Amino acid sequence: MRALLLVLLLSAVSAAMPALAQVRGVELRVPRAFGYFLGDLVPVQADIRVDPGFTLQRPSLPKPGPVTYWLDLRSVAIEERREGDATLIRLRLTYQSFYAALDSRTLEVPGFPVTIQSDGQEGLTTATVQVPAWKLGVSPLREVQPERRDDPAEYLLPDGRAPRLDPNPATAAALTLLALAALALVPLARDRAWGIFAPRRGRPFALGLKALRRTRRKTAGDARDREALLVLHRAVDATAGRRVLADDLPLFLDRHPAFRGQADDLARFFAASRRAFFGRETEAAARTLPLPEIETLLARLAAAERSA
Amino acid sequence: MNTLRPGDAMLTDWREAATRFEREIAKAVVGQERAIRLVTIAIFARGHVMLEGDVGVGKTTLLRAVARGLGGAYERVEGTVDMMPTDLIYHTYLGEDGRPRVEPGPVLRQAEDLSVFFFNEINRARPQVHALLLRLMAERSVAAFNREYRFPNLQVFADRNRVEREETFELPAAARDRFLMEIGMEAPRDVEARRALVFDPRFHDTDRLTKEVATGVLDHTRIGAIARAIQHAVRAEPPIERYVVGLWEALVRPAAAGIRLSGIDMERLVQGGASPRGVAFLVRAARVRAWLEGRDWLVPEDLRAAFPEVMAHRVFLEPVYEMRRSEIVPELIRAVFDTVPAP
Repeated sequence: MRALLLVLLLSAVSAAMPALAQVRGVELRVPRAFGYFLGDLVPVQADIRVDPGFTLQRPSLPKPGPVTYWLDLRSVAIEERREGDATLIRLRLTYQSFYAALDSRTLEVPGFPVTIQSDGQEGLTTATVQVPAWKLGVSPLREVQPERRDDPAEYLLPDGRAPRLDPNPATAAALTLLALAALALVPLARDRAWGIFAPRRGRPFALGLKALRRTRRKTAGDARDREALLVLHRAVDATAGRRVLADDLPLFLDRHPAFRGQADDLARFFAASRRAFFGRETEAAARTLPLPEIETLLARLAAAERSA
Repeated sequence: MNTLRPGDAMLTDWREAATRFEREIAKAVVGQERAIRLVTIAIFARGHVMLEGDVGVGKTTLLRAVARGLGGAYERVEGTVDMMPTDLIYHTYLGEDGRPRVEPGPVLRQAEDLSVFFFNEINRARPQVHALLLRLMAERSVAAFNREYRFPNLQVFADRNRVEREETFELPAAARDRFLMEIGMEAPRDVEARRALVFDPRFHDTDRLTKEVATGVLDHTRIGAIARAIQHAVRAEPPIERYVVGLWEALVRPAAAGIRLSGIDMERLVQGGASPRGVAFLVRAARVRAWLEGRDWLVPEDLRAAFPEVMAHRVFLEPVYEMRRSEIVPELIRAVFDTVPAP
């Protein structure tokens, strides 16, 4: 560490005798004691060694804020740890100097007391540790009497050159992330059924025709007639996306004009189905719309569906 | 498809009478064909009716016209905050000789002949009055003067306006369940009807308007018997029975039926309601509708025609959704009909 040992001082500052016994030493370190300009941050490390069992009373620490008219305390951080048979309390103080120096000079940074305490068997013991004052060398930023210029703007010096940053890693990262985002669109599109994932329009009538042919082979008689009607019902429902009752037929044809050509047959089908399921004339219903006719109707509807 | 059998000539005659009745009412109330049809269904289903709607859409006119068309004794009371049940039953006053008298009040005055009891602004009356009404509606009887009065032909019509909330009392669920239907009335949408309502002086004098309705188109003393006959004559095939049960199940447990409404937790939406009495009422109303359409068998359309009015007020929603009831329930009912397969 290029830190400079600035002050090493056994704590003879405090007059309190018990404190002498408990505080083993206070040590201040700053990176350098000179060459600070207006606005510079000054990190200071204060190591306080005390007897084991003692801890720092935090409220006794100085509060960040103005210390003198030219000096601010910016932050205080504390570390406590055991070091050999002593306890090390390390304060990391950051000062900021606002001294606008006209020449190089040394200023005194005031010290401050902190309190340590031990909660022993005999009760609470406290002692005060004085962090000593120290010297800070400040330097001027500019000449006192600069060369005379006509244009006052020329008194301003050019800024220091900022290092040129390499844009390549950032560009590469951006491109990679962009590619990842584009890839993430694929599962999203799948989830939302966009574009190529859009569901293909179902063909309920075509499916119905297949189902009808299956039932035709399996069942027979009255049940088969009803089954055929049901197949056609389900196909109409699936096309409409809702249940279509007999009275809804005009609405259905309005929404799906492709099937208008089969309007009469559909009306006959609904009338027949109504009678077959809800009336008392199942046989009559079967006569008005026999199975082959249902099949023809389904085939025609399937054809209309394909051309729609 | 006129499948009423010739043996049911009486029912056919009555159906014509019912059509005439609807035509008469439509003279006084324009653009409310649906409400008139529903009221007719309620009359032949022997159910009580609640009319709901904005101020001045013709609720009272419709009910007055119906009362006139039905014939029979008719009583009307206006609900007020200070009305007590006894005000309905007893009429107390000081006689000419200065002695207090207690006489039958509006409900008892016409005694057993009372056919239409019209309760205006029912939500202005207190719960005590609703409680009395509960018995009157459910049992068609009232105890007074140490005896029991029975009203075999009684039909209660009530109206309430849904705009005002101050000084009103919400009807208890039990009372609402006793109404066969809650019919929502809105001003007619049809431009021609609207124009006539505003400019035709005929519609400005309600008294004269209702006088145009022929009295006693229906014989109110026989409606009870006809209603029973209708319920026996109109058959429900097994597929219809399955359909009703399916509708009921989907209404009470929409999530299980696969109904989804946007922004609503379907598992929690419906808390209860849709009582067996309600569903029985639904089938009753549907049978009357089938009869009015000239069928003696039920079709799903019959159920759908009466469903919102009969069932909507019997569904109880989770309190969070209760405030949005008027949008949610119609949507739910539509979804139920879109989901449950008919045959």
